[in-house]
Amino acid sequence: MRLVYCLLFAIYCSLLLSGCSVEKEKTYRQTEIAMDTDVTVTVVSPSERKAKDAVEAAFAEIKRLDKLLNYFSQDSELSAINRASGVNPVKVSPETLEVIKKAVDVARLTGGAFEPTIGPVMKLWNFELKTIPDRKEIKNALALVDYRKVKINESTSEIFLEKRGMELDLGGIAKGYAADRALEAIKAKGIKAALIAIAGDIKGFGLNHDGIPWKVGLQNPRPAKNSVGSQMPGDREMLTPPSAGDIMASFYLKDRAVSTSGDYQRFFIKDKERYHHILNPETGQPAKGLISVTVIASDGYMADAISTGVLVLGPERGMKLLESLGLGGIMVDSNNKISMTGDIKGEVKIEKTP
Amino acid sequence: MKRLLSMATLGDKILFISLFIATLISFLFVKDLFPAGGLVKVTVAGNTAYLLSIEENRTVKVTGPIGDNVIEIKNGRVHIKEASCPNKLCVYQGWIDRGSIICLPNRFVVSVGGFNQRQSSSGPYDAITK
Repeated sequence: MRLVYCLLFAIYCSLLLSGCSVEKEKTYRQTEIAMDTDVTVTVVSPSERKAKDAVEAAFAEIKRLDKLLNYFSQDSELSAINRASGVNPVKVSPETLEVIKKAVDVARLTGGAFEPTIGPVMKLWNFELKTIPDRKEIKNALALVDYRKVKINESTSEIFLEKRGMELDLGGIAKGYAADRALEAIKAKGIKAALIAIAGDIKGFGLNHDGIPWKVGLQNPRPAKNSVGSQMPGDREMLTPPSAGDIMASFYLKDRAVSTSGDYQRFFIKDKERYHHILNPETGQPAKGLISVTVIASDGYMADAISTGVLVLGPERGMKLLESLGLGGIMVDSNNKISMTGDIKGEVKIEKTP
Repeated sequence: MKRLLSMATLGDKILFISLFIATLISFLFVKDLFPAGGLVKVTVAGNTAYLLSIEENRTVKVTGPIGDNVIEIKNGRVHIKEASCPNKLCVYQGWIDRGSIICLPNRFVVSVGGFNQRQSSSGPYDAITK
């Protein structure tokens, strides 16, 4: 009997001790507003403290980069570069130098379809006030757009925009780059699986709580009329989340990044014509031919910038570019037809055609 | 231990055994006693404005940079009842019992719980590329 008691007591004590530290993978997810958009960081870890620590490190990194690269903030290093265009080179931190170097590299890869100096033309368009700039204004601003006039001095860590009035706008690459950096910050905390989503710029690492790669849904560029995206308030008491019925395709993401560019993210419609925020650097007008481009790459900055470049290039040239770079891509053309690069056809499940 | 046992009356032994069983049972049910959600956090422009229990039905008004939003907690779920932004995306999201609702124009985030969230408001997806 005594043995039984001793045994029971031992089990009891071991239960009490282990009760709060069961080595079980948990998922921790946090959403905040950063980089002027919604950012969600998901971490899988057996330790709550470690997970929280990693999530905080990721957000700190994203906010730090935003301080350096925000086009709209007067205090950013990017604004300092823009203010000094045509006047003098500006000394910047290593991250700013690195992301600008990457932006110019991608611009070169895409033959200027991805154009980080589109700023002066972009400024003429106002998607809230639905103003269409006149052709002369656009023509003048286009004279200031040329990525080859961005001078990067690596030895002095300086950036110089050669022409007065030139402006770098890293809106098409900064979020992907920040996702890359934030994931490094998470890995440095010893975490084995995480997912970072800066709006639609996503980077995954490791396996999710179910032990499978992260499941990613792809936004339908033209959701059905009765879905949330096209509803007026007060229609129904209970609504599904906007994403639920509006998913065009899904796929699994492991240790890769994905980004989507589309004509539905910032746009207005005037005289039945859709004007969206991805401009063709040759014309200064919204790009035509494709309505949505998703790119899967190993780096976030690459997926982010190339998806913009492909949308500008259009279906044929865009597909050629993806194949020459060996990147996976899903595109929807203006007839709502979906096409994909050969390497990912087997991985992508079409949920609902636009 | 030996002395303890010899001093213990039958009642003590019964008490000990029943405590032991109670402990075992509590381990099985601890998850149900403390559901994964539990806490509703409301942040405005990055600062925590409210920490509320999901179990307590109530309605709060939150003031953001562009106006007031009304948040309602009812039967273990939360939704945005009224919003001052033009597109009302946060109102469309409806009720959630985990994950987050975001209002970009008004710079506020309502999130439920933290750990062991197997899904977000994006349903069966871990994330949406958009």
